[in-house]
Amino acid sequence: MIDGFIAFAENKYTRLVLVGLVFLSLQTTIFNEMRPFDVSLQVMLLLAASCGLAKGSSGGAIAGFVVGLLYDFVLTTPLGLCAAVFSLVAYMAGYAHSFVHESTWWSRSLVSSVASATGMIVLPFAFTVTGAEGVLTLHVFTVAIVVAVFNAVFSVPVEMLCRWALKDPAPVR
Amino acid sequence: MAGSSFTRRRAILLLSLTSILLITLDLRGSSVVNGARSVFGTLFRPIESATRVVTKPIQSTWHGITHYDDVVDENRRLRDLVAYGQGANIAAIATVREAQELLALNGLPTLAGISSCTAQVVGQSPSNFSQTVEINRGSECGIKVGMPVLNAAGMIGKITNVYNKRAVVMLLTDPGYSLSVKVVNTPPTTTTTTVPGSPSTSSTTTTTTTTTTTVPRTTTSTIKGFTPGSTVPVTSTTRAPGDSTPPGTASPNQPGQNSNSQITVPPGADLPLRETGALEGRGLSKNPVVRFIENQPRFGAVAIGSPVISAGGATSLAPPDIVIGTVSKVVKRTGTLGPILEVKLSANLTNLNFVRVLLYQPITERPAEP
Repeated sequence: MIDGFIAFAENKYTRLVLVGLVFLSLQTTIFNEMRPFDVSLQVMLLLAASCGLAKGSSGGAIAGFVVGLLYDFVLTTPLGLCAAVFSLVAYMAGYAHSFVHESTWWSRSLVSSVASATGMIVLPFAFTVTGAEGVLTLHVFTVAIVVAVFNAVFSVPVEMLCRWALKDPAPVR
Repeated sequence: MAGSSFTRRRAILLLSLTSILLITLDLRGSSVVNGARSVFGTLFRPIESATRVVTKPIQSTWHGITHYDDVVDENRRLRDLVAYGQGANIAAIATVREAQELLALNGLPTLAGISSCTAQVVGQSPSNFSQTVEINRGSECGIKVGMPVLNAAGMIGKITNVYNKRAVVMLLTDPGYSLSVKVVNTPPTTTTTTVPGSPSTSSTTTTTTTTTTTVPRTTTSTIKGFTPGSTVPVTSTTRAPGDSTPPGTASPNQPGQNSNSQITVPPGADLPLRETGALEGRGLSKNPVVRFIENQPRFGAVAIGSPVISAGGATSLAPPDIVIGTVSKVVKRTGTLGPILEVKLSANLTNLNFVRVLLYQPITERPAEP
């Protein structure tokens, strides 16, 4: 029983959910209030992109899906929509970073930034596909730029956090 | 390499299918999705609350930096509003004084002629069943049992025990409290919609709709031929024989002759209607109620927000026209039973500090003069 609980607690996706809940609480509180240029900063998207950078494209896609699903639970948009987009962003970040020969902090920031901007442009399209109206405006580009800049600045520490959360358990000798 | 690619493809396919499945379920209003959202909300709420507390200083700092100018503007606007309110308050005080002078001039009782004793609330009853407070003035100030107690907002209760330098005030909400009150009901208002102009007169005109709120005036005068609110000429009923002067040309007040003087019948229909009842407390958590309101057609349905004031009278412990509160709820009863009115007190009884004891005793309680 206890061993099972410890194994569950040590699971990387359990850690990811816990980290995701902390980020989600930040998203719904402080980042919901702080709106530079009338844009709500997207730390959940940052977490998804950082997961892609930390675990590569396929592992990042699953982690991004989990992060997006957490975000979906507090939004009024259809459940699974953010999960799909965040999964795409994480996959894209991981896949794009795999082409970088010698990874540096700024290359990671750049990849995270571009992936986040893409996600913020894809998201309103996805909303429109599922029936939302009035979300495809020019403001989308402002949102994408501001979110990209913010995510570029904070991508390095968040990626370190994601590496810790998604770390595979050490092999038992 | 091929195996890795296969696993990746399978993972992407699985994620895509899961997303589509979830979106479809949610768009179709699945109860499973709604239930999952509800459960997640319940679990997530404490985390969110804790984060809100922790991040509050950061949010405040952010708002302080970004909204400073807005706050300054709003502060300036609110200062103007306060100044305007103070001006209106002064005008209201002047009006009340004028009304009191008018009442005094006509020999009617007013609050201005009643002495008072200002006191401070020093304690509160620890009991769950009685709502009383203790004040720091007593019989040395002339306070006696039964005297009404007010604060700036209106009546709060009456004196039930008096000591030398202490007195106990029973609050209006105490179940043992009862007082004769008046409910001032405003006449009913109706909304009529008129469309001026005919739409068929021109093919290019624009039709405008105007909404007007009017107060209906009912003619209830018992004097035959008189309409309240109208100005009517007074014409004598007798005429001198041979008088051919047309009506209105002769000098007034001459017996046997026409008069062109006019009298104006004051309108009475738009005056507030009053009905008396008994105010009873029901405990601190419930609003007091007014009972024994008669079900009179003339009084009509009691409107929410109608003021409730003390009725006064020879046996009432409080003088007339002390503000008590407003009607917050009307509970209608069948038959001839009048409604029961819940009263929202104008005074905040949970936060009392300075109060004023009116040194008032009804005529029946006053000692006979030697």
